[in-house]
Amino acid sequence: MTATPVNESSVTRTDVDLIAPEQPDLPSRLGPGSRYALVSTLGYVASLAIFGVLVAVKGVEPISVYHTIISSTLLNGDAVAQTALRAIPIGLAALAVAVPARAGLINVGGEGQLIMGAVAATGIGVAIGAQVPGALSWAAMCISGALAGALWAAVSGVLRTWLGASEAVTTLLLNFIANDVMLYLIYQAWKDPHGSGQPQSRPLAHAAQLPKIFGSQLNIGVLIALVVVAVTWFLLQRTGWGFQLRVVGGNTEAARRAGLRVNSLLLSSMAVGGALAGLGGALNLAGVETQLRPDITLTFGYVAFLASFLGRHQPVKVIGAALLFSAVALSGNGLQITDGLDGTIVEILLALIVAVPLVVANYRRRAA
Amino acid sequence: MERVTATEVPPHGPEADVVVHEVVRPPLSLRTRLTSGLVLVAVGAVCALLLGLSATARAQADFVLSPQDPHLSVSLPARATCVVLGVVVALLGAWQAARGWSREAMRWVLAVTLLCFVLSFLCWAVTGAPGTSFDLLGLLQNTILTAVPLILGALAGVLCERSGVINVAIEGQMLAGAFAGALVASLAGNGYVGIVGAVVAGALMGLLLALFAIRYLVNQVVLGVVLNVFALGLTGFMYDALMQPNADALNLPKTFDPIALPVLSKIPVLGPLLFEANIIVYLMYLLIIAVDVALFRTRWGLRTRAVGEHPLAADTVGIKVLAMRYRNVMLGGAVAGLAGAYLTIGSVGAFSKNISSGKGFIALAAVIFGRWSPRGAIAAALLFGFTDALATLLSFTQTPVTIPTNLLLMLPYLATVFAVAGLVGRVQAPGADGEPYVKE
Repeated sequence: MTATPVNESSVTRTDVDLIAPEQPDLPSRLGPGSRYALVSTLGYVASLAIFGVLVAVKGVEPISVYHTIISSTLLNGDAVAQTALRAIPIGLAALAVAVPARAGLINVGGEGQLIMGAVAATGIGVAIGAQVPGALSWAAMCISGALAGALWAAVSGVLRTWLGASEAVTTLLLNFIANDVMLYLIYQAWKDPHGSGQPQSRPLAHAAQLPKIFGSQLNIGVLIALVVVAVTWFLLQRTGWGFQLRVVGGNTEAARRAGLRVNSLLLSSMAVGGALAGLGGALNLAGVETQLRPDITLTFGYVAFLASFLGRHQPVKVIGAALLFSAVALSGNGLQITDGLDGTIVEILLALIVAVPLVVANYRRRAA
Repeated sequence: MERVTATEVPPHGPEADVVVHEVVRPPLSLRTRLTSGLVLVAVGAVCALLLGLSATARAQADFVLSPQDPHLSVSLPARATCVVLGVVVALLGAWQAARGWSREAMRWVLAVTLLCFVLSFLCWAVTGAPGTSFDLLGLLQNTILTAVPLILGALAGVLCERSGVINVAIEGQMLAGAFAGALVASLAGNGYVGIVGAVVAGALMGLLLALFAIRYLVNQVVLGVVLNVFALGLTGFMYDALMQPNADALNLPKTFDPIALPVLSKIPVLGPLLFEANIIVYLMYLLIIAVDVALFRTRWGLRTRAVGEHPLAADTVGIKVLAMRYRNVMLGGAVAGLAGAYLTIGSVGAFSKNISSGKGFIALAAVIFGRWSPRGAIAAALLFGFTDALATLLSFTQTPVTIPTNLLLMLPYLATVFAVAGLVGRVQAPGADGEPYVKE
């Protein structure tokens, strides 16, 4: 024991640095970057191969399946547009995970926040959509959706900051509650009196639906989402608020001692996240769905959770992951129609694709 | 002001006297005290005024505890009961606002408040239609039925997380167990073999979790979600490709008949409630006792907790950290597989897609809500089961004010949120939960 106090962590860190990094056992003549690329490629090829084997068991030609996956998501304008449109709720809900994650919070509630956004947008859109000009009702729907999502997430934020309740648990439970609220509205309060078959809410007036861009399948929701993503990126990377969130996420106690208002930072990160997801739900409703129906979110919220972690909570990467997942989810439809496979099979593909970078990322960490 | 005593062995040797320190906890702030007190008074007012006065005047609330034995029914004057219970809660709240309960007492106060509220709510609900009685035994039986997979799932979570591996994949392990249980039981024509199949399938899912979490150091929360998606996709695919075309041969398992235990099932109320269940429920009883005793009274339990709290320290004294974790995660997976078996061969029989429908997530919430202890997790699972059974019962009961069924469905989740926030509050996970251990 030395008499003078020594910063122990700094000592350990130097010691670790002095030790030569362990030689990885894979082709060592390649540099770390290309080794990483090689391992990832092998991983993706392997996961596609596993998927091919499963499909072959079902008696479908794997090559035709790969072809369907690509053609139903990438090969024509409409398919690309569908991928982009579906990436809106997934991407915004993924940012709803990423923003609180910066502050060290786990938001599992993207699903519920999407639902509440869609619910609020439906309420406002159906009420005023037929009377006011389109732009006004889009704005009202987006704002109310974002507000509803923010409030829904803020419930968990308040329970966390005031009572210390785990936000991972409360956001998860609030998903189920949001779903029941939506089902109540669909089945009872807002039920479409003219609807037949599947229960659903009254549809939006045509004027209230988001307009398409230049005759393509895309609607202006894509633009709104892009702007919001850019603003989120700016907030997180270039503002004091974004920096403070990272400080709180790094070490809450240190942040508190440094005089940061930890509770309001935590709360605001949840609210901003919820607003993003709520907006995602609203844009999905106003642009694609046009009326509330059960299963409107298709578990986008949970997929978004994966997207956020896959993108390491960095806005641009998170959106990339959301686009990828959107394509995978969409290819389920193609497989169902073209190859007669059940749509749930893409869940396997999704899991395999996510597993590759997760495993490889650690390979890179160990190799570096 | 509240005093907590802490004992500590002084540095100069164990033979010296033990010094007793007094740590003084800061008292609750006036604002917290007043707010919480007033909330309680408000709850009391709701019980007494809203429920009590809107209950039909002079109606009796009949609770049936045993359909065979009329002596075991309780008949309460509904309005008076509501008012009395409401006043009790309001008094508790008034004391909190005026003088403040200690932290320990506050837990009991909240528990009593919850009980009073539920009772007065039941009294109110039953007065909606004259002459109806409330099947309290049925309510409790349904509570247990709903809680069984949750309790087993929560035990699975406790086993993993106490050794330092976060198990978000309970849902996936359950699903695998449910699928394998139905499949193997159909193939073998024997439910017990089905249980073995389910347990093995769950353990294999656990092995997958352990392998990626321990060997490849993958973030355990994401890993769990990925495994859930994987299990959902795989069981869904195999259901379509394999089970559905040959449903008679592959998805028609026999379910277990209830076994009435010789003496125990004759106990009034408790007998039909607890001791006329099927084999999986009895296995659950055994597991509850085994996990609780093993975790806190055996060498294995001490090692498990050591590995979960401080793996480096455990390693230093020669405990094989990674082996402990592999074993515990697989054990947890096996228990979750049993929970899955309950969903198919333990209750409805045939497997269907996504049959677990989020029960694994509720079990996970119960683990956290129960502070990573088996008893706490069981209490949480029972609370969820009770409110779920209550919601089902209320949807068939004519209450004074009709509650939409869809809103009733959210009752268990709402109750759990309230309980997590109000009764449990800040929780502390095992020290190394989710931290992979890498030997230097």
